[in-house]
Amino acid sequence: MRKLFPVCLPILLVCLATTVPAQSNKAQGGGSFMVQCPTSTVWHPGSSVLGYDPTQQEGSYTGPKTVTETVNGVSLPYTLNGGAIKCQEISGGDGFMTEADGNQTFMFSFGPLSGMDAIKHGQPGTQFASVFNNHYNSPTLPSSPNSRNPTYDPSRPVSLNGAVADPAAIMTIGVLNGNLPMPLAAFDEDDEFFLTLSNVGMIMRPDLFEQHTVHFHGYPNASSFYDGVPDATWAINIGGSATYYYMAPDAGTYFYHCHITPPEHLQMGMVGQLYVRPRQNRVPVGTSLYSSLELQQTDLRTACNTGLAGQTAKDILCSTPLPGVNNGAIQQVDPFAGVDPRIPAGTPYKYAYNDGDASTRYDIDVPIQIHGFDPNFHFVGMTFNPEGFADMKDKYFLLNGRSYPDTVGVPGYAGGPSAGSSNPDSASRAIGTEDSDGLTRYSQPLPSLITLIQGERALLRLSDLDVTEYQTLASLGIPMQLVGFQAKLLRDQAGNNLPIVTNSVTLGGGESLDVILDSTGVAPGTYFLYTPNLDHLSNDAENFGGLMTEVQVCASASACTF
Amino acid sequence: MTYWNAKKRHDVTRLTAAAIAVAALLLPALSYAATPGITGTIFNLVASPIYITQPDGAMIYSWGYGCATGFTPSYLPPQFASVGFCRAGQVPGPTLIVTEGQTVTVNLTNNLPAPVGNTSIVFQGFQVTTGGGTPGLITSEAAHGGSVSYTFVATTPGTHAYYSGTKPDLQIEMGLYGAVVVKPNTVPAGCSAIGSDTQLLGHPDYRLAASAYDHPATCYDREYLFQFMELDPRIHKQAEQQVQAIASCVPTAGGLPCPTTLEVKTEPYHPSYYLINGRSMPDDMDADYAPNYPNQPYNGNPHMHPGDLVLVRTIGQGRWEHPFHEHGNHVRILARDGNLILSQTDSAKLGGRMEFTTDTYPGQSYDGIFYWSGKGLGWDIYGHTPANAGNPPCVPDSNGYYTAASGAPLSAPNYYEWCADHNHPLEANPVGHVGGGGPATLFDPLIAANGLWYNGTPYLGPDAVNRSRGPTPLPPVKSTMNPLEESGIAFMWHSHNEREITTNDVFPGGMLMMMLVDPPVFFIDETL
Ligand SMILES: [Cu+2]
Ligand SMILES: [Cu+2]
Repeated sequence: MRKLFPVCLPILLVCLATTVPAQSNKAQGGGSFMVQCPTSTVWHPGSSVLGYDPTQQEGSYTGPKTVTETVNGVSLPYTLNGGAIKCQEISGGDGFMTEADGNQTFMFSFGPLSGMDAIKHGQPGTQFASVFNNHYNSPTLPSSPNSRNPTYDPSRPVSLNGAVADPAAIMTIGVLNGNLPMPLAAFDEDDEFFLTLSNVGMIMRPDLFEQHTVHFHGYPNASSFYDGVPDATWAINIGGSATYYYMAPDAGTYFYHCHITPPEHLQMGMVGQLYVRPRQNRVPVGTSLYSSLELQQTDLRTACNTGLAGQTAKDILCSTPLPGVNNGAIQQVDPFAGVDPRIPAGTPYKYAYNDGDASTRYDIDVPIQIHGFDPNFHFVGMTFNPEGFADMKDKYFLLNGRSYPDTVGVPGYAGGPSAGSSNPDSASRAIGTEDSDGLTRYSQPLPSLITLIQGERALLRLSDLDVTEYQTLASLGIPMQLVGFQAKLLRDQAGNNLPIVTNSVTLGGGESLDVILDSTGVAPGTYFLYTPNLDHLSNDAENFGGLMTEVQVCASASACTF
Repeated sequence: MTYWNAKKRHDVTRLTAAAIAVAALLLPALSYAATPGITGTIFNLVASPIYITQPDGAMIYSWGYGCATGFTPSYLPPQFASVGFCRAGQVPGPTLIVTEGQTVTVNLTNNLPAPVGNTSIVFQGFQVTTGGGTPGLITSEAAHGGSVSYTFVATTPGTHAYYSGTKPDLQIEMGLYGAVVVKPNTVPAGCSAIGSDTQLLGHPDYRLAASAYDHPATCYDREYLFQFMELDPRIHKQAEQQVQAIASCVPTAGGLPCPTTLEVKTEPYHPSYYLINGRSMPDDMDADYAPNYPNQPYNGNPHMHPGDLVLVRTIGQGRWEHPFHEHGNHVRILARDGNLILSQTDSAKLGGRMEFTTDTYPGQSYDGIFYWSGKGLGWDIYGHTPANAGNPPCVPDSNGYYTAASGAPLSAPNYYEWCADHNHPLEANPVGHVGGGGPATLFDPLIAANGLWYNGTPYLGPDAVNRSRGPTPLPPVKSTMNPLEESGIAFMWHSHNEREITTNDVFPGGMLMMMLVDPPVFFIDETL
């Protein structure tokens, strides 16, 4: 009665690579690169239905709206909740990064092929369709020192955040442009997100014809097709593009990474950050947050049928139950808007989740990803030798791809590089690394210096993609308010908030959580986030560094280094 | 610690291209799982030396709990009665399935080699009284060849660990651990009693109970038990060699006496096997009680239908933590160490967290509920499009799914479909007989590599797969892992300390399994 049909399976990476040879060189010329970002979809049909242009802006959240559209000649009802069409493009390949002790490390890595100026400045690379589709055009390559871009079209206007769509340009810009972490992605609930992965090959490892994929870690009710697990779906070969498509999931802090041979490709650097902003951010100023969350209960996708009185069904994974009591919170303009140069005037409060009671309100997004590099593994990874896994031992401990003091490597910041520094770049704060071709490319754009005007609340979107061990991050001076855990609000089914006030959080690989640092009443000065895993406070042979960064609390905007 | 003293990168000496280790791994086809074990109120167990096997061919000397000679246990779920076995030792030990309120007695006989010395069992979360045996540090022990008995009342439902309380750094590492599952003694309101679940369409019911706890929020439709353990082969090798050396030692005249006890070093600890239920991937996806693993009867191979509430019982049996990532959705934690977590203000509501990566801590168990429904994808998982005649209807129930509550026949091929996406296509252009009009342009299939569990399309079920494959089907559409008649969609469940998804330095392996969501009418035979 048992059906045991043993089949012979080579190691998956070999098997996958040989299943279908990279045989197709279609008419596109430079391989099968294909970048897509539609300007209209059934969920985002355009301003005549939505009242705003979803290719260039978000609308207010005012509850679900049912419309009928015609698809293939058939009328179908759709429930629209706003949102926009957003796109991003990344390269999959290799590159080098710079450790805090000055050593340079080879990576398998993803790099930016859209939103490049935003990425360089530490911002999410995700763009509205209208920006993405105004394809990248610049007289110089996005590297430092600037070098001539052979694919520049002087007849078109300069576009620094558009997608690189031309196959030749994808190779020119994408090869060796790997970042650590991979390009930051952030978008809003109800957005459609099109992520194009163009596999440019690993030029330092021509012996490998390795695929890469994107796994959207933690997406509720994920599709297998777009889940990025090569055993369960497809993986794109060198010279090709594929576009991952998702409706934005529930708000929260997620992350993404390659899923080919994970112990290898994750250790080698194919990891990055991704978060989803809640509908509650889009609630019009003056509106009750509780009423807005009640509106979400009228949309079956976000209704929280926990089995409360009057509900006939229950959903054990419902993510946004109404708070137990309506505390009367209303949406309002962030008092730091226009005061803090990072928050444009008139910007309303931001929230980590659809809380309905403002309990997850914050002012500044601080995405921080914990990672670790084993330099021996990376060296072996560059030298055509098979790596060992059980012996893996991280020696560099990274926050956003940097160890202390590079975590606070902000030109002009006290104790850091000088204000006119070219590396890290004074304007963008990005660290560049000289690659094997002699060009310096931006490799680590994200410092993790946390700058707060007294009274501001920072949302630490913490994730961990270390592949070997658990890591703890502690805050000595400012209490940590743990409000979200693995992309869910900490709230029980009865609507009680369950935040944890603590001074440390511990994460394993593949975990994320949301911590609010509230600087209200905190004396101006420098505070530290560091790991009490004391052997992780090192940069290989240097015995002081590693998993540490600083929180700068200033009395006013003018006293801050932003 | 200067800011920018970037060294020139070393010139890399290009070594000759590495020989890529091509390990021929055996992969099973079509097998499923449940939470099998032995049941009763008196369990006569022994601890015995055994060998376990790993996918790299290693035979690893171990110690396991098993059934005493003459003890013929009953098996649960009952569908396993004909295939179940309980030898003198196994890793993990026999899963003891008991009912809330019962008094349980475990009689343990120590059949380990004499140099091992005493052994014992501690039961986490129970008040145990001991009989016989010899006093030990934390419980009564059985001396070599001797016995001890443990008695406890299974006070509350849930999943618990049991393991050796004697030299645990060595004995648990060697394999002396197992699980106790306590079934509730009531059927909470709204849960379907065993044998009364009509959605099974007359197929067998493989659950141990109608619910995990005496609480209506803990009903479930199928269940799996995963015990996590890392293994350092050097410890096992030392134990094996010392046992053999002592057994064959002849004292020299007037010289050194033979050693009589083991002196196995358990530090530094350096595991290279990472086990779920005693097996590494891909062996964990072979059947429960598969004859090729006589001393590792339990597998890890979850399957489910859309909307099934799947109870995941997990125990960390080793000394390390393992972040276990369930692709596909979150897990609602119901309980830790058998303690149901409820809201502090409303005991009708759950209070446990939802996690996409569930931490498994040493000695700790948790129970959680997982499901997959495809809600909110924005496209029809069955590939229905409005132009396609003969589509089944999708009428939303109060949660938005097509179920019996909204008139769905139990045999509907799209039972539990998320109706808001019904007839909304995924792809912008037609593929096969699935019309376009959706948002996404699919990639050129000739530039992608396909996985062994991939059904070749974005969709679920043979009908959708047949319609959307197009005139020239791409490989592999006849995968033995996910054949056309199944056409499930697969998700990886694995340790996210990713080096643990290897077997003795070879990827893939270790703590990894493929979970399949199967089409609603596909019968999942958990005994296969
Ligand atoms: Cu990769
Ligand atoms: Cu992951």
